[in-house]
Amino acid sequence: MKVHVNLSLCQGHARCEEICPEVFATDTVEGKCLILKDIVPDDLLEKARLVVRNCPEGALRLSRDKGAAAEGETA
Amino acid sequence: MTLLFQPPRPDHVPADRIVDFDFFHIPPGMTDPAEIWHDLRRSDVPRIFYTPRNGGHWVFLDYADIVEGYRNHEIFSTYQTPIPPIEPFPVMQPQGVDPPDHNVFRRLLAPMFTPTAVRGMVEELEKRAKALIGGFADKGECDFIQDFAARYPTGTFLYLFGLSEDRLGEFLDLAGTFFRSTDPAARAQNVVDIYAVLESLFREKERNPGNDIASAIVTARDADGNQHPWQDILNCGFLLFVAGLDTVTNTMAYIWRYLATTPAARRHFRDRLDDPDAFLRAIEELMRINAVSNLFRRVTHDCTFRGVALRKNDRVILPNTVANRDPTVFENPDMIDLDRKVNTHVTFGVGPHRCVGSHLAKREVMVSLAEWLRRIPDFELVPDSGETRAFGGSVMGFESLKLRWDV
Repeated sequence: MKVHVNLSLCQGHARCEEICPEVFATDTVEGKCLILKDIVPDDLLEKARLVVRNCPEGALRLSRDKGAAAEGETA
Repeated sequence: MTLLFQPPRPDHVPADRIVDFDFFHIPPGMTDPAEIWHDLRRSDVPRIFYTPRNGGHWVFLDYADIVEGYRNHEIFSTYQTPIPPIEPFPVMQPQGVDPPDHNVFRRLLAPMFTPTAVRGMVEELEKRAKALIGGFADKGECDFIQDFAARYPTGTFLYLFGLSEDRLGEFLDLAGTFFRSTDPAARAQNVVDIYAVLESLFREKERNPGNDIASAIVTARDADGNQHPWQDILNCGFLLFVAGLDTVTNTMAYIWRYLATTPAARRHFRDRLDDPDAFLRAIEELMRINAVSNLFRRVTHDCTFRGVALRKNDRVILPNTVANRDPTVFENPDMIDLDRKVNTHVTFGVGPHRCVGSHLAKREVMVSLAEWLRRIPDFELVPDSGETRAFGGSVMGFESLKLRWDV
């Protein structure tokens, strides 16, 4: 599974980094979400799903699509 | 005084949306000030209503509307919002500035308060928590507010600003007047005093910059390589002073009050001192249940929101504690589930002005609780401590919280 962040929605709550630091970090310029591993390893999938559901801005999503991220998003 | 942002007479408010509600008034005998909000939530008042109290303002009660109030800065401004109106009110940087201009100071502060940046402060936070708790642990009792919850975040502010702990008394006095005084003359003088302290502090840091946030703010350069406007620097200092003190104090007071009366919750945390994920989940749940802030917005132009006519300069209150118990978002919203897995609470707000210090605030609470439970594993409220008075307003809380334990 691939994880996407919509940075125009992200406000830097960093709940993602708190819950799953293996996949998510916070950038040091704007304090917004930084994805470390866009393809989520199977053993972290459950955690990544929790992260998506806990994002207060709904800025994250998981997709099966391993291709390019949708418009307006960076992976 | 003529108010620049005088709200109009509410002739645009239909009679069936008017409710008599004073968010400062806690009825005698009510021990939890948030109950005035939960009584509203459980009543059949309109989910968007107007009260003539405190200068007149709207109240939103649905999670979706509260969140929209935070996100939609084109309608809901953070500029000049106090309820009741106080003008001129210091324009806190970046809190009192609407996007996109707020982004200048937001980008300056955000990297200093990321989870990683805050992890770098943990050792200092632990040391200070240990020292404070060590000062009264052997006495078997304390006034949690006076002896810990008010002192601790004020000490954190001194640390962030590279100031000596010797100045704690001075800053506690400034903060005490700012948050608790009801005397308008004292309040006006207090703001002047806080700005005078910030002025000399930033001038000193400009001459001798250190490895602290005040130095980072005063030495930062804008896109053209210039120092930020001096007034904005002071306004940013003012925000950091007022935003991280009373909120943390009263969040802690709520949490310790709950733990003092709930042995199973104390055990839950004690059993998870070495399980940071579970400890964080439980703290997140107590943050949801004990949201102390009721934040203000001001309407930027005449418009219709969810079918309700709003007028330019109408004030709105967004009560976080109400949003956090919305049954359409939270399963069993009134139940405290320390293992709640999905918890999109709005205790730190959402949208462009989401609390930039949330990770520091959470870390202060987590470090304090862990150190406390290691030293004082069981504690209770002092029975009949009587006049433990609760207060409402923008930040809700308690004037004192007497705790006791066996030594």
